[in-house]
Amino acid sequence: MAGKKIGKNEIARLLADWKKEFTVFTPKREPDNSSKMVEWDGKDVSFLKWHRNTTVPCKALFLPPVEEMFRFQKTAGGHYYIDLPPVEKQKRLIFGIRPCDARALSLLDKVFEDTYEDPYYLPRRANTLLVGIGCASPYDSCFCTSLAGGPFESQNVDLLLTDIGSEFLVEAASEAGSSLLKECKYLNEANETDEERARDVKERSREKITRRLDTESISGRLSDIFEDEAYWEKIAAKCISCGVCTLLCPTCYCFDISDEISRGKGHRLRSPDSCSFTEYTKMPMENPRAEKWRRLRNRVCHKYVFYPMNFGATACTGCGRCIRLCPVKWDLSKVLSDLAGKA
Amino acid sequence: MKSSSVEQKLRQEAGELLSSGKVEYIIGFERGSSKFTTTPLITRDKGDASRLVIDPFISVNLARFLTELKGRVGIVAKGCDSRSIVALIQDKKVIRENLVILGVPCSGIIDLSKLERLTERDREEIQSITCNGEKASVDSGGRKVELPLNDVLSDSCLECEFPTPQEYDILLGEPRAGTPRAARGKIEELEALSPEERWHFWEKEFSRCIRCYACRNSCPACFCPRCFVEESEPQWIAALPRWQENLIFQVIRSIHLAGRCVDCGACERACPANIPLRSLVRKIYDVVDDLYHFKAGTDKGSTPLLAHYESTDPGDFIR
Amino acid sequence: MRGESNWEPKLIGFLCRWCSYAGADLAGTSRMKYPPNLKIVRVPCSSRVDVLFILKALQMGFDGVLVSGCHPGECHYQTGNYYARRRLAIIKKFLEYLGIAPERVQASWVSASEGGKFAEVVAKMTEEIRELGPNRLFADEK
Repeated sequence: MAGKKIGKNEIARLLADWKKEFTVFTPKREPDNSSKMVEWDGKDVSFLKWHRNTTVPCKALFLPPVEEMFRFQKTAGGHYYIDLPPVEKQKRLIFGIRPCDARALSLLDKVFEDTYEDPYYLPRRANTLLVGIGCASPYDSCFCTSLAGGPFESQNVDLLLTDIGSEFLVEAASEAGSSLLKECKYLNEANETDEERARDVKERSREKITRRLDTESISGRLSDIFEDEAYWEKIAAKCISCGVCTLLCPTCYCFDISDEISRGKGHRLRSPDSCSFTEYTKMPMENPRAEKWRRLRNRVCHKYVFYPMNFGATACTGCGRCIRLCPVKWDLSKVLSDLAGKA
Repeated sequence: MKSSSVEQKLRQEAGELLSSGKVEYIIGFERGSSKFTTTPLITRDKGDASRLVIDPFISVNLARFLTELKGRVGIVAKGCDSRSIVALIQDKKVIRENLVILGVPCSGIIDLSKLERLTERDREEIQSITCNGEKASVDSGGRKVELPLNDVLSDSCLECEFPTPQEYDILLGEPRAGTPRAARGKIEELEALSPEERWHFWEKEFSRCIRCYACRNSCPACFCPRCFVEESEPQWIAALPRWQENLIFQVIRSIHLAGRCVDCGACERACPANIPLRSLVRKIYDVVDDLYHFKAGTDKGSTPLLAHYESTDPGDFIR
Repeated sequence: MRGESNWEPKLIGFLCRWCSYAGADLAGTSRMKYPPNLKIVRVPCSSRVDVLFILKALQMGFDGVLVSGCHPGECHYQTGNYYARRRLAIIKKFLEYLGIAPERVQASWVSASEGGKFAEVVAKMTEEIRELGPNRLFADEK
């Protein structure tokens, strides 16, 4: 397929066209400098100057912070009438998702399709198109290249944009992406210089990523060292058991369910939970993970041992948020590469 | 990077404390694996002491680890950390005799986001930051900029009254004077707004809160084994990240810290959503100072604020 | 705000069992007239009241919160009300800083014999809150 490109100055018009058919989401920087995906306001395209992913991952658009699962009401007869929300039909388009977050969604899919098909997450996934932008200049904390991804991985998006200066090279990565391109009025043909520019940007971006993990050996090494309490205690000593790494991890999906009831009427809500919290496994009789080293071990092994055992892929996309945002700068990539070295 | 003489002395003292068996653990900082970061070093191994650092990125309040480590501990403490330790001693959560406090007179912590704004560079694009006296030199891709250090220091450091630890066993470095208590920038700005504007400000800020509890967990004074948010019978606030619950959580936390929060700023630095938490906890610190002339963490022998009363305590507001 | 013609202030009072609750009881047995807007929660001592109660009450939608205990020097537990005084002073200053109208959280010393004072406190507070309007602090639609 001949390469296509689009001028950065056309993006606003492109998004405005898409807005007629989809609810469009774009990255937005808050005044405090943190960032997340929000519904596009119709004007702002300043995010085109960014090179890297948002603070809050895109999973928030599929697993919202507070999700009403259903409402219920006690009837006169003493029964409960349950009111399910309508199935999500709204077509959405996320513009500016990074390959790490897109890969994370495909990892979440495996969980929410497994055995029980989640009626909240899956319709949203089916109705959402992903237009990805590759990362021209990754964070110091990024390590996506070690997890078979890479800053320009296109396999989990519908379209992938590569920044080649005043324009983006546009590549379709799925049938839906190709359809989007066919209808797009603002595209030009990309020539050999453009393609070469793109290859250059991708290569240089990969080179900037200095964190490397030997993912082949990690699962085995973790299983070997699983019972070594002293090792895990030392590793976990500085962890403060907050929820930053889990709540901002694009592949974390643990949730809590709560009911709010008042005078016979209420609703059931789902919200994110964190296995890092002390009370995550607390039960009336005991707490199997009362010690923080157990919780940390569980978290690391879930990502690199248990999930791979169940679903055949590592539940980490190397986005680096856990490293960058950790209050004590605990570094998963360092822990794992030290571990691989210990063999 | 060449280690300073303070660092060398620290490494030597820490190593000796461990090898002599005077302490079982050393808590300090080592270089982080990302640029311009440090990470806590908690170790029983004297060989690790050579990795200890003191630099403008030692942003964690290490005293928060004291309530979970058993045994004798040697701890690196900036001015604020040592006041947190004093507050813990007052609360009888740590025994002074079990501590060897390696006091570090602190020149302040750099707030990277201020530096990024002033140099118009992301930290990813900056190669080095060096502090020389009153200046910070920033090198980004061959472009060198010199900034007044005060322009890039964290607000909590600019407003710090006690940068030199008053409670210590070994003092590493020359004592420094602090800033006498003056008007508090952000708090003053907020107080100039109307009550409705102020409440709306907090509603907006706490809409970003994800209830990660990084603030609570990085605070030495938040040592309750069971925090009120973990209570379910009765449930005080829902575990849902709605702005109402988020705001109530932080308001209650701030008030629960009255007399024990020393305004170290660790909570605000820990917050991934950059919520200006110091504009809450610092207000508590100031209210307590105004009402009871009590500056948290400055008097080891005094009774904790809320375990004490005077017959002359203000009571005009009570009908 | 005031325009809502059938809105009545909803107040909650945390009254200490030994003095204020007894004072409220006396107001009742003496058939003193005072507004019926206050719901009473009895606590052993005013120092039982934590900021949690006050904020939860405000979140639940109460328009005003009253904390009432024994006069200084008369606490059944000797010192409880002194600690409460410190805590309440800090809470009031902080809540006002946040933007909550100071009239919404009030404190009083009412002894077991002060039925009249209790009635007066409730009447005054009810009027002050009526003037302020309903508590919409935690409402979502603004």
